[in-house]
Amino acid sequence: MFLWPGQPFLLSVQQRVEIHKLRQGENLILGFSIGGGIDQDPSQNPFSEDKTDKGIYVTRVSEGGPAEIAGLQIGDKIMQVNGWDMTMVTHDQARKRLTKRSEEVVRLLVTRQSLDTTSMLCLPPILASAHCWVPNSEGQERIPGPA
Amino acid sequence: MFSRNHRSRVTVARGSALEMEFKRGRFRLSLLCDPPEDTELQRKLDHEIRMREGACKLLAACSQREQALEATKSLLVCNSRILNYMGELQRRKEAQVLKKTGRRPSDSGPPTERSPCRGQICISDLRIPLMWKDTEYFKNKGDLHRWAVFLLLQIGEHIQDTEMILVDRTLTDISFQNNVLFAEAGPDFELRLELYGACVEEEGALAGAPKRLATKLSSSLGRSSGRRVRASLETAGGSGSSPILLPTPAVGGPRYHLLAHTTLTLAAVQDGFRTHDLTLATPEENPAWLPLYGSVCCRLVAQPLCMIQPTASGTLRVQVRAPEEWKGSGRRQRRARSPRDQGTIENQAGEPRDWVQVHGVLKGTNLFCYRQPEDTDAGDEPLFTIAINKETQVRAGELDQAAGWPFTLSISNRYGEEEVTHALQAESRGALQSWMEALWQLFFDMSQWKQCCDEIMKIETPAPRKPPQVLAKQGSLYHEMAIEPLDDIAAVTDILAQREGARLETPPPWLAVFTDQPALPGPCSPASVAPAPARIHSLPWGRPRTFSLDAVPPDHSPGASRLVAPLPLQRSPRSRGLCSKGPPHTWLQSPV
Repeated sequence: MFLWPGQPFLLSVQQRVEIHKLRQGENLILGFSIGGGIDQDPSQNPFSEDKTDKGIYVTRVSEGGPAEIAGLQIGDKIMQVNGWDMTMVTHDQARKRLTKRSEEVVRLLVTRQSLDTTSMLCLPPILASAHCWVPNSEGQERIPGPA
Repeated sequence: MFSRNHRSRVTVARGSALEMEFKRGRFRLSLLCDPPEDTELQRKLDHEIRMREGACKLLAACSQREQALEATKSLLVCNSRILNYMGELQRRKEAQVLKKTGRRPSDSGPPTERSPCRGQICISDLRIPLMWKDTEYFKNKGDLHRWAVFLLLQIGEHIQDTEMILVDRTLTDISFQNNVLFAEAGPDFELRLELYGACVEEEGALAGAPKRLATKLSSSLGRSSGRRVRASLETAGGSGSSPILLPTPAVGGPRYHLLAHTTLTLAAVQDGFRTHDLTLATPEENPAWLPLYGSVCCRLVAQPLCMIQPTASGTLRVQVRAPEEWKGSGRRQRRARSPRDQGTIENQAGEPRDWVQVHGVLKGTNLFCYRQPEDTDAGDEPLFTIAINKETQVRAGELDQAAGWPFTLSISNRYGEEEVTHALQAESRGALQSWMEALWQLFFDMSQWKQCCDEIMKIETPAPRKPPQVLAKQGSLYHEMAIEPLDDIAAVTDILAQREGARLETPPPWLAVFTDQPALPGPCSPASVAPAPARIHSLPWGRPRTFSLDAVPPDHSPGASRLVAPLPLQRSPRSRGLCSKGPPHTWLQSPV
């Protein structure tokens, strides 16, 4: 569908995302959903490149929620939460690590697939000027979520 | 008669040629007189033209996407049929003209050329595998790209279409449920299979005006970059959506493109599933391009008429015991004349033979011998059956002894080492001739239809076509709820209540998403809808966005099995984070 000569590359970049949980009544919410786990069927994961990857992936980000504000994106793979590893955990363990009541802030280390910027040089002017594909940790310009 | 409406433009590039061709055809027809088979064709042509006009009007009038897709498909099929019929008419006219001028194309050919019998061709269980790439998921986060596809099948002048199927990335194959039947096909048939597809834009998405596209882009890309994109779009003259960014939306109705095609012949016929290669026709840049694996699986069977209908029947006399020797083919047998007897006759070796009068029916690869002609109708079992296949030897001869029944033929089959011969007597020379003729025709048909004559292949009657499916969105209720956060929650609830009707006696399931901690008993209970809106308004942001994946919904609280009715999986009332004991076959998602 794109007409430039080479296909853009998909690179894995690591991002650090700091989410401040939102208090909602008695709960602290982060505003996203996770999928995956070593006890889950990895072939049903639509976000993973490798269909045997049993890691934890972000499957949904609530609009305007703490996660979106912090710059978390759908499809991100969560590697660590506050230093705890998330690559070899069950689904429930992952959820629990994210929803500890004693923690108001969680710092996530995520891996994200993003487009290779060097291939942007061959783009026709419209896209080249958009500069919209480079994820910025500030969260100002980012790849759109479920639009 | 011909609508110049742009909305009726279909991807068949012969749009204007069609009209020219038609005018020419009409003009010619009025000059020459039509033989009867041409009037039949003419009638079909008129019918298709009327259908085409109807489809054009429908396309111009319809507002919903599924109607437009169906109407465009009907239009495409009508166009193909019209062109086909006109081509056929042209050919027939030319043949007529050639005949009239006395120039026979095959002067030296034998006057009575044997032609093989017709047959029924049925193609069913069509399946086209797809090969989705991972990039499909990354490119279309959240949006489900969909395509409308259908197949066009053609043998000679008959064109048939399958139902239209909606395809998205959750399907691994395109499967068509119909079976398509062609009657009156010869063994030299060529079944042309064409796959047409059109890209279906989501409603409310980027189909249509460039302004909406620009707004959409500006809201998705972030403020500054969106402004830049919009500016560049506007400076480009606003000449429609940029094809580079998105699949070009059709001006008017949807556009079908030929995605792939193949031709199947008699060699592909088999009473079972076979895979055939597809020739891909659209490049990847085309909006309707689908990642086809490159093959099509189907069950293509053929039933020649000679296999299912009796080709000859009549009275015969059959020898009950197989003779030791039989010298065939026209040689007159010098045998001892014995008194004419209903029962026995003696051959050279002196063995008594019994001739039994039967009613023989030649059908398929068997000659059934019934006691009475009425037995065939009654469905009784035949007295015996003589197999006739490619290896059978048939010889004709004449016996003097059986005066009144001198016309004999013998049928020999080889079963392993043994050769079994049956001798039959026909009533008259004419009867013998017709039996021989029928047998020769059968042998010819078997040589032409080849593997179709080994055994009768079963054909199921095609079920009546289901009415075109409503363009149902992807399974879960979440998909129907792509609303902006600014929408009123009460309006949403109303919409849901209207859509789901009785199914939504419980509070909208997405309410449970806000209450994702098991400790909260109140909002989780499906007691009433009243408390829920009050809770929702306290939230700083609107309802969460939908996810378009066919995902299993999160299990929220103990006893949450009342969740969404449309979703097939019933959640057991256990704590969240299902621990599967066996091999995992779920892929849970939990909000945090």
